[in-house]
Order: sequence, then structure tokens, then C-alpha cells
Amino acid sequence: MSWESIIPNVLAGETQALAGTAPSAAMDNEQFADFYARTARSLWAYLARVSRDPALADDLTQEAYVRFLCANHPEDGEVAARRYLFKIATNLLRDHWRRPQSSSIDEIPEHVFAAGSDELQSDSLMMVGPAMAQMRPRDRQLLWLAYAEGYSHHEIAQITGLGSASIRILLFRARRKMASLLRCGGEA
Amino acid sequence: MSPFRCARERELSDLLHKGHWPQACPEDLRKHVVSCRSCSDLVLITGTLQASRKQTAELPRLAPAGTIWWRAQLRRRNAAIEKMSRPIVGAQIFALAMVLVVIAAIAVWQFGNWSAWLSDLPDTLHLAALIPTSISTQESGLLWVVVPVAVMIALLSGIVVYLASEKQ
Repeated sequence: MSWESIIPNVLAGETQALAGTAPSAAMDNEQFADFYARTARSLWAYLARVSRDPALADDLTQEAYVRFLCANHPEDGEVAARRYLFKIATNLLRDHWRRPQSSSIDEIPEHVFAAGSDELQSDSLMMVGPAMAQMRPRDRQLLWLAYAEGYSHHEIAQITGLGSASIRILLFRARRKMASLLRCGGEA
Repeated sequence: MSPFRCARERELSDLLHKGHWPQACPEDLRKHVVSCRSCSDLVLITGTLQASRKQTAELPRLAPAGTIWWRAQLRRRNAAIEKMSRPIVGAQIFALAMVLVVIAAIAVWQFGNWSAWLSDLPDTLHLAALIPTSISTQESGLLWVVVPVAVMIALLSGIVVYLASEKQ
């Protein structure tokens, strides 16, 4: 006798209570596809810019969505779900950095981020890569979440696990450093 | 006023995120940004990073949503099965341990009776009569019976296991 015949409901994915998860109750396949279409590119951009590794961003984006679907995520709207997704991605990045690395993330060439659209290639935009490379990973995270994604200090605290008061100070310093780098052409 | 925040920063930040900077903002705020380092940093960083976000978000070739949904389903099912089977495996290990303990206890308790019974077994079954008289006198005489019987049992066991597995 196999497990499939004993617990068919488990294999049919119908026993969320047993699994301790309830994602499909919150989001079905089509709802997820819509949510994914709306959020995946900004999540990938966050991961790619903070990690400076597009291949890693591909992997972590997929893993973040899989974990999001497997977890008991908040059911109070898309904004909360999106924030939760960024929190998962942030934790995945942190786990990645804690593991021993075979190669440095600084070895990733910046030209992989160069888009084809010429109208976006303003002076400061060209400096983003070199300037971000001079920042610490945590500062890159905070700057991106605050100014590219527009999250408040409270939301960034929820995503990163840092205290709101610390974020204010860290962001102030990171912003000042980044602005100096952008004005100096990305060189310290 | 916080040393880490200009008093007009929140107002400016709202305008930046709504896309109202610089056209749809008050003249005095524009003048303030020119003179305030914190606010000019904010304008520079927000504008640059939002443009970078727009640019970077065009780059990825994302995996299909269906693939990710399927992977998540698979992972949830595996987690559910693992969670279900964990206590069952524990119960099986406990049951096996109890059986071994009982067997060991009985073996210790009945050791004297069993050793006497085993030593009398060849005489009881008259095994000596099965051995040809030409070899019964030798030391290894009993091996001539035991080895073929063991081989026969092993062969029959193999055939039974094969047939049983084929049926399944």
C-alpha cells in the first residue's frame, strides 16, 4: 500500500491545514499569475541592483515566489503581499551573502545592466552602477527600498528586520554618500 | 527638527513619488531644494533610482508564472507528506525497539531451557541416521547435511521473493 492511497487529499493539495499553509485559499493560479505579472519585474530589479548579479536575481526571484506561495502570507491586500514578497527576497539575499562564496559579487560586470533604451541613459543614471558598487549591500538595499520602491521607514523596517530609528540614520548616511558619489561620477 | 531630516523632506518625497516634481510643485519648494543639501540629495537619489528601476525592470526574462505555481504546489505537497509521515516513522521505530526489547528479555529469561533443547535437537530428530555411514564418522559429517539444506532454503527464498515482487 502506498502513501498516495492512504492520504490522497495530501497529494491533491487539499489539506492545507495539515501542511500548515493556506496559500491557495488566499490566491489561486490566475490571481497569482496577475500578481506575478505586476510585481516580478520590480522584485527582479531590486535583487539585481542590490546583489549586482542578474543570474542570482533570476534564481532568487523564482525562489522568493515559491516561498511566498508556500507560506502563510498576510491576506490584507496586494500592498501587504508585495511587502511580504520583498521581505522574503531580502532574507534570501541575506542567506546568500552568509554562505561561503565561490566568486565575489563585485566581479559581475556592470554592462549587463545597460539597457537598450538610450533616452534613459542620463549622466546620473550612467553613474548608478559604479556608485552602487561603492555602497555596502545593506545601504544598497535601504536606498533601493526607500527611493526606487518608495517604501516608508516603517515598511523598510518590516522588510529588513532593522529598527525604524536605525533606518532613518542609516538611510541619511547612505543617501549622503550615494549623492556624493553620483555628483563625483561614481568615484569615491 | 531631526538632524537627519529636513522639515520639508516629507512634502518633497510625496511630490517625487507622485511624479509631481518639478513642474507641479510650489515655487518656494524649488528654491528650498536649491539651498538645502538634504533635499537636493533626495531629489537626485530618488530621480536616479526611479529611472534605474524603470530601466532595470525591462531587462529580465522571467520564468512563466505557471512554472513557479507548479513548483510551489510540489513543494507544499512534499512538505505535507513529510509532516504526515514523521510521526508514523517515529511510531514504527518505537514499535521495532519494543519488539527487540521483548525478544531480548525472553531470550535472557529462557536461555537455560533453549540451550538444553538445542543441544538435544540432533538426537531428537535422529539426524545422525540421515548421514551416510561412510562420512558419519568424520568431524565434518554434519556439514554434508546442513550446507545443502541451507543452499536449498536460500534458493527457494529467492524464488518466492522474485515471484512475490513480480506479482506486485
